[in-house]
Amino acid sequence: MKNNDNENLETQENPILRISAKILFTPIILFGLYVQFHGDFGPGGGFQAGVIIASAFILYSLIFGLRKGHELLPPKFNFFLLVMGAFIYGFVGLTTVLMGEPYLSYNVLGSTKQSGQHIGILLVEFGVGLTVSNVMIALFNAFAGFNFKKIKK
Amino acid sequence: MFLAVLLALATSGLLILARIILGQTTYDRILATNSLGTIIVLAISVHGYFIGRPEFVDIAIVYALINFIGTIAVLSLFDNGTLGDKFGDKKE
Repeated sequence: MKNNDNENLETQENPILRISAKILFTPIILFGLYVQFHGDFGPGGGFQAGVIIASAFILYSLIFGLRKGHELLPPKFNFFLLVMGAFIYGFVGLTTVLMGEPYLSYNVLGSTKQSGQHIGILLVEFGVGLTVSNVMIALFNAFAGFNFKKIKK
Repeated sequence: MFLAVLLALATSGLLILARIILGQTTYDRILATNSLGTIIVLAISVHGYFIGRPEFVDIAIVYALINFIGTIAVLSLFDNGTLGDKFGDKKE
């Protein structure tokens, strides 16, 4: 089972870890989405959901290797989503400014005050979640891909 | 009843804490830390029901998840000295 070109580390060939990561990957993302969109009623919100979704990708990279993690979520796409999250946040805020209200006052977004609040919070939390999860993944990639041998030379 | 369970969990948590401080090898300490995480997960759930807020189970699930991933990360770091691939060995 060992690769001759030694691409995988010893831990990454452990079948228990590989299978448990495969089983856990989808439920973690599902739970993250639950925390994301249920944040108005229970504990949760964009920040927590972002970290939970990022933890799924971090688990994947940890067990299947950084290379496979890059294949799953290419760093360019990662950075694009990272910026898009902040962009969504700012865009919602600027939309309310264009509609003649202060920055991020959600009331004008919907037909009634309540629906406006609902739409605004959902969009802003979505942007926050996107940014937080991708920042976490980018941080992990940056630290795990650190090349110690280059430093020693 | 919940109070009794919480006290029992606190006692076992303290015992595990003693093992973390006294533990002879690093692996003892890692195992004890993992067990302490499990105890804390149980304590969060029981505490949630104790004060009448069952939503705390969500937090307990997150804690269990992070505990699992953290233990794997620490063990992988101790075993391999790196969290990623052997990027430095290959010329790309």
